[in-house]
Amino acid sequence: MTLVLSEVSRTFSSEKAETIEALSPISLSVNNEEFICILGPSGCGKTTLLRIIAGLEYASSGSISVDGAPITRPSPKMAMIFQEYSLFPWRTVEENVALGLELRGLKKPDRVAAAEKYLDLVGLKGFEERYPHELSGGMRQRVAVARALAIEPSILLMDEPFGALDAQTRNRMQHELLHIWEKTKKTILFVTHSVDEAVFLADRIVVLTHRPGRIKEIVTIPATRPRERTSEDFGQIRRHLLDMIREESDPAQ
Amino acid sequence: MTRRLGLVLPILLIIGWEIAAIIVNNPFYLPKLETVIPVLLSPFSDILGTGSLVDNALVSIERVVLGFALAAAVAIPLGIGMGRFAVLNDFFDVTLELFRPVPPLAWVPLALAWFKIGIVSIVFIIFIGAIFPILLNTVDGVRGVKNTWIEVGTTLGAGERQILTKVILPGAAPTIWTGLRVGFGISWMCVVAAEILPGPTSGLGYLIMYAYNLGQINVIIAGIIVIGLIGLAIDQGFKAVEKRWFGWRGLER
Amino acid sequence: MKSVKIAATAFIALALILVLLTAGCTQSASPSGGAGNASPASSSSAPNGTVGILETSGVGPMPSLLATGQVDGYIAWQPVVEAGVESNIGQVAVYSKDLPPTGEWSNHPQNVFVVRKDFYAQNPDFVNDFSALNLAATQYINDHPQESAGIVADWLAGKQNFTYGNVSVSSVTVVSNALPTIEFTNDPSDSWKSSTSDFVQALIDIGSVNGFVKNSSDRDAVLYNFQPYQNAEAIIAAKNVTTPTPLQNTVNVGYLMAVDHSALFVAVKDWQYFNDTYGIALKPEDLTAAKPAVADFLVNGQKVATVNLVPANAGPNLMQLAATNSLQMSYVGVPPAISAIDIGTPITIAYPIDNLGSGLVVTKGAPAQDWQSFAAWAKQRSDAGQPLVIAAPGRGSIQDVMLRYALQNSGFAVTDVKV
Repeated sequence: MTLVLSEVSRTFSSEKAETIEALSPISLSVNNEEFICILGPSGCGKTTLLRIIAGLEYASSGSISVDGAPITRPSPKMAMIFQEYSLFPWRTVEENVALGLELRGLKKPDRVAAAEKYLDLVGLKGFEERYPHELSGGMRQRVAVARALAIEPSILLMDEPFGALDAQTRNRMQHELLHIWEKTKKTILFVTHSVDEAVFLADRIVVLTHRPGRIKEIVTIPATRPRERTSEDFGQIRRHLLDMIREESDPAQ
Repeated sequence: MTRRLGLVLPILLIIGWEIAAIIVNNPFYLPKLETVIPVLLSPFSDILGTGSLVDNALVSIERVVLGFALAAAVAIPLGIGMGRFAVLNDFFDVTLELFRPVPPLAWVPLALAWFKIGIVSIVFIIFIGAIFPILLNTVDGVRGVKNTWIEVGTTLGAGERQILTKVILPGAAPTIWTGLRVGFGISWMCVVAAEILPGPTSGLGYLIMYAYNLGQINVIIAGIIVIGLIGLAIDQGFKAVEKRWFGWRGLER
Repeated sequence: MKSVKIAATAFIALALILVLLTAGCTQSASPSGGAGNASPASSSSAPNGTVGILETSGVGPMPSLLATGQVDGYIAWQPVVEAGVESNIGQVAVYSKDLPPTGEWSNHPQNVFVVRKDFYAQNPDFVNDFSALNLAATQYINDHPQESAGIVADWLAGKQNFTYGNVSVSSVTVVSNALPTIEFTNDPSDSWKSSTSDFVQALIDIGSVNGFVKNSSDRDAVLYNFQPYQNAEAIIAAKNVTTPTPLQNTVNVGYLMAVDHSALFVAVKDWQYFNDTYGIALKPEDLTAAKPAVADFLVNGQKVATVNLVPANAGPNLMQLAATNSLQMSYVGVPPAISAIDIGTPITIAYPIDNLGSGLVVTKGAPAQDWQSFAAWAKQRSDAGQPLVIAAPGRGSIQDVMLRYALQNSGFAVTDVKV
């Protein structure tokens, strides 16, 4: 399946009736099972882009299609993972993971079985009856991933999912995400402002300019995994990306 | 430990009261326990032809429950609407804030004129007392539901009704529960005010007013103690539910 | 910013504490400590000095006020007058009929029976028959005081004891002692009308009556409709009553928990007697209740109407209910009835239900056994800079008006004590 964005842009009026352009027209084609990172300076519109794809916001122009069929509302082919505060604190871990299936009317025994399966996949077997506030940040995000996987989407949309975690947990979670990705063969769109993270994870990195973001460059990372964070080749790519980011972050522009 | 600690002060107060009553030696300033205790110890005996403490307590409880239930039935749906839709909130806000500071007692003459003598006018006064805390807390609770939770629901395919039942209501529940608890407390306080209305010949508030008109201070004090005890018991009930179901509040992450 | 907040909070807290402290200090009911020398102890128009009146809402708090020394006396209606005596808190200085000016109040009105004009127009037979029952009950009280005392004590207090401080007194005793101080009569005699007229004038003078009653050229026509009384008298005299057509709607009759309204209590509790003797009865639906709330009105053994008996805390409440047609008839004190008619409530006074029955109670042991000694005491206290404070049940009540007139007539200036 392919995800195609065609001239997707976003403009809105502020309270003072000014027109603000958040996102310049973006065109992009994502292939099946690809891991795409969207990288850019703060405020460039990368999160907006993701939310438009997720159906949480409207595109002011352009269209999005999956396998040729256009989408405007939240599509069942996609699932979103937010940065934080996304688990329902009144539900157990298992109930959280089963949420999407519950919304679709699946019977309880089936839901429970699915939840247990995906919790096992993310390495949280045995935590079914815990509550979110009993878990660490990393564990919570794993639950969020399990919840997204439970509805068996084709595409995972991830909005800086590890941004609230400490450095070691973050690294560990990146490993685990790749592990899960290899097992489940999903297409992933991953928004981040961390160059290191993008280089470690992605097949391709879409670099956006400052607001209103348009595609500055698409960098393809050679496909070898597992990747050495400190290797020379990646250092070059990293330098290149950092230069671009610095360029876009410079207020003088 | 903390529970037992809470009993220390009441016991000290009772001892202190008796000592003070003996010292003051004027039963109109401070009636001795001996005049009040007998009234409390025979809760099933008739008092001044108005019925027993138990009879009157049950009557008052019944009226309060009616008024309170009515208030909740109106306030919760309205509060959800106002919390969810800014238009509704803007529409009702000024009017509600206008009426909120008016003490329920001030409504008594109007209640009598509109609803004539009978249980309706009493229930109306209690309704007025309870509705504002429930309403305000419901609005607050609904507003306090994190946007991310709602977006999680949306992206997982929830419709408006499912958002309401699976996200808004459970998310707002602890705050709404607090509103109900406060609302019931105020309803219980309004019992005296409501039972001043002509017509009722029963109820704890009526008993106190009746005793007041005949200068029977010991009955008044016994009535006050019973009102306090019942209020305490019910409040503990609310707290118990809160502890059991809403322990997650404040721990959202 | 934070330090400003702390300072502001501290300031507000301090101000509140100051307010609370001074509020405590100025709560003294005595007029001597408060406003300094605003009213001199004696003047040419008030040669004997000043007496303060403290208005309370209702008579309930009065024994307590007297026992805690917050007032030196109170003027009230029964049973609170007798209760003060029985519980050793006070003594009766003078009963209302003996208040000066001499002979002025010897027949003073106290409570009346009022009827809504529209109700009487639609149901004249019912009202006449009900009034006949009132007359019969009044006669009964006069003929059987002991029995009546028991009935009234049952209604007011379930025949239990009243506890005032350490003293527990039987309610039957209190009511028995109270009944003789009241004149139970329904006759709207000329002297009654004249006394009521004086009272109306008093209310006009203090400004609480300034509407229909004040501005009408024929006050009597505005206030009274004695037809029910006249018809009731005829029914009793003829010893014959015709059964009226049954009423479709329930009738609501208001009253107060006062010994003055004994006619109603007696009529209901001893309904059998009135049924057998007069063929008219108010039979309670719950025969065991101390204070029945609903009764069947029977004429010649047949039920003619359902009657709700509606108690209230005070006359003005009853009149409010009458104004909204929540009550069709009521036993009520004269002052609220006059005020209600004055503001346009469509009721008229049908006849009195009792006269007299109020009393001035003072601290036990005070040098006051009659008005003369009371006045002497008042003068002595006023000269000493500690004027007496007497509680009265509300501005414009009969007791309030009588007391003020008596004091002024005896050369005292009256000040209003504010708490």
